[in-house]
Amino acid sequence: MDILLGSIVAGILLGMVIALVALGLTIIFGVMDIVNFAHGEFLMVGMYTGLLTAQATGVDPLFTLPVAAVVGFLLGVICYAGFVKFLLRGPMVAQLLGTFGLMLFLRNLALLIFGSSDRTVHQGILVGKSFDIGMGIIVPATKLAAAGLSVVAFAAVWLLMNRTKIGRALTATALNAQAARYMGIPTEKMNALAWGIGGGSVTVAGALIVNFWAVNPFMGLLFTMIAFAVVALGGFGSVPGAFFAGLVVGLIMEIPGFWDFFTYTFDLQWMADVPMTSLKYMWIYVAYFVIMVVRPRGLFGWKQ
Amino acid sequence: METVRNALDFSDFPRADLFIAGGIFFLFLLFPFFSHSSFAMVTMIQFLMFSIYGMGWNTIGGYGGQVDLGKAQYVGIGAYTTGVMLIRWDVPFWFSMPVGMAIAVIWSFIIGYPLFRLKGHYFAIATIATSLVLKDLFTVWPFVGAARGLEISPVRFPPPNFFRLIFKDDIHYYYVILGFFFLSILYMNWFRKSRLGYQLRCIKDNEEVARSLGINVHWAKIKTYAIATAFVSMVGSFHVCYIKVIEPVDVMSLDLSILIALMAMLGGAGSLWGPVIGAGVLIPLKSYLKEWLGASAGLVGIDLILYAVIIMVVSAFEPRGIWGIVEKVRRRKRR
Repeated sequence: MDILLGSIVAGILLGMVIALVALGLTIIFGVMDIVNFAHGEFLMVGMYTGLLTAQATGVDPLFTLPVAAVVGFLLGVICYAGFVKFLLRGPMVAQLLGTFGLMLFLRNLALLIFGSSDRTVHQGILVGKSFDIGMGIIVPATKLAAAGLSVVAFAAVWLLMNRTKIGRALTATALNAQAARYMGIPTEKMNALAWGIGGGSVTVAGALIVNFWAVNPFMGLLFTMIAFAVVALGGFGSVPGAFFAGLVVGLIMEIPGFWDFFTYTFDLQWMADVPMTSLKYMWIYVAYFVIMVVRPRGLFGWKQ
Repeated sequence: METVRNALDFSDFPRADLFIAGGIFFLFLLFPFFSHSSFAMVTMIQFLMFSIYGMGWNTIGGYGGQVDLGKAQYVGIGAYTTGVMLIRWDVPFWFSMPVGMAIAVIWSFIIGYPLFRLKGHYFAIATIATSLVLKDLFTVWPFVGAARGLEISPVRFPPPNFFRLIFKDDIHYYYVILGFFFLSILYMNWFRKSRLGYQLRCIKDNEEVARSLGINVHWAKIKTYAIATAFVSMVGSFHVCYIKVIEPVDVMSLDLSILIALMAMLGGAGSLWGPVIGAGVLIPLKSYLKEWLGASAGLVGIDLILYAVIIMVVSAFEPRGIWGIVEKVRRRKRR
């Protein structure tokens, strides 16, 4: 029983962080209908930023979030103004391959600068500590803090999108760019802002994830696919959808834990024989495929 | 007979193109007789393999406009079918290659039916997802060697053997793949003038119009996807006999899928020569950059950075590819 509960708790905590990862993707997609393959690489940039800032200044990795947010915002705006703007004129295949080129560029730049080895956070207030919340469930303090701060960051972006003038202008651009332009909204700036917010939120998520996940230059693609699955489930362009879908995908990532639970509970040999831990990430791709085929709009989607 | 005549009929191209293409193909035939390094030979074989991959992608991605980023799964199916059949049951290449193509085509029908209900970005990401699922499954399946993959040992299968396609010198592989290459060019020449080819171009321009003309859009896409699959799987089978080692992370990686799509786009998607030009530019560039910058200068990743910059520049400023530039120049001259 404790395996099951532990998996559920771990999945929900991870899901909260993943929701923040996917938030940037869904904003960018909602505002300008472009799929950003470099999203996972933005996350990687955030992770390296958090790690290196913490190592250089000696502060706890959890306090590097503002640095990561600024770096991410600038990265997003630069990518938009310097590159993505030109992609929008071309056909769809150029957009897909163009952001893929951006992904390769960032990945290999990181490889050139940092090398291919795994890096982890070794010191910090919370590293290595954990809470026992009863019933045999042990929660690492870093994951709990990351989940909590993710929800705070998510709420901040939600408020920005729904309660401010800038947010309303972004939504208007997303709904109908041409009409928004007639109303005097600078849509070009709004596009850049969407990339800035998207980049900033994902790098913050990266600075949180680095507390409990090793970083190397190749980890971006996995998170890109996770973010795609979240966005597909929540609905392309939907912010609340991203949150609930994030929780669901967090639970999907804990499928090996559930599998173990059923294996031990019912004591089935054939279940023990399946190498479920190696297939951990396959379920995310399966989930994406099934969601897209069964309900392309997602749970909360309004774009088709 | 009609089909053969159509496949051999290149008369709608300008005569200058045909002379250049004929001259280059003639040089391909003679290439092994010039003095060359073994590295150049490997690069040539890679170039021919990737042009056939690109031609396969070009049917669905270029003529049909459906951006498919999951071609590596069919490379994997072809390679694994040939590899497993050779190692377990000693089935020769010329028999296992059609079997691999058949399996790949059946798989493409199974996933193509739901896939083509999606459009645009959604379709592209879904093809990536299917490819990664298959890769993960092959990584844990002990029958096909799991994560370690398969290896064709030269002791058990002594070279040279034409039926198993196991040779010692690259020159034999070169002529086999060159034969495939010429056949593929002829097939593509037939395809672009076939009924399905015209239907696809109509679908690419406007699906509603295509539907109103009585084209079964969904079925046309699935059929073309199967054709593209057969091409890719055929070269996948060749790949395993040539490289003699398969690992799931190698033959089914996303990078391979992207490279296939990228080459066709760089050369000019939706034209007969596009994938060949794209492969001819990109493959030598990639392998020589890796040789000069990556391996000898000790800067890991710098070759891929340059490669990424090329992708970004092409997709931002010249999305119609090299062939697009050629056509633009021609149109300006005519005026």
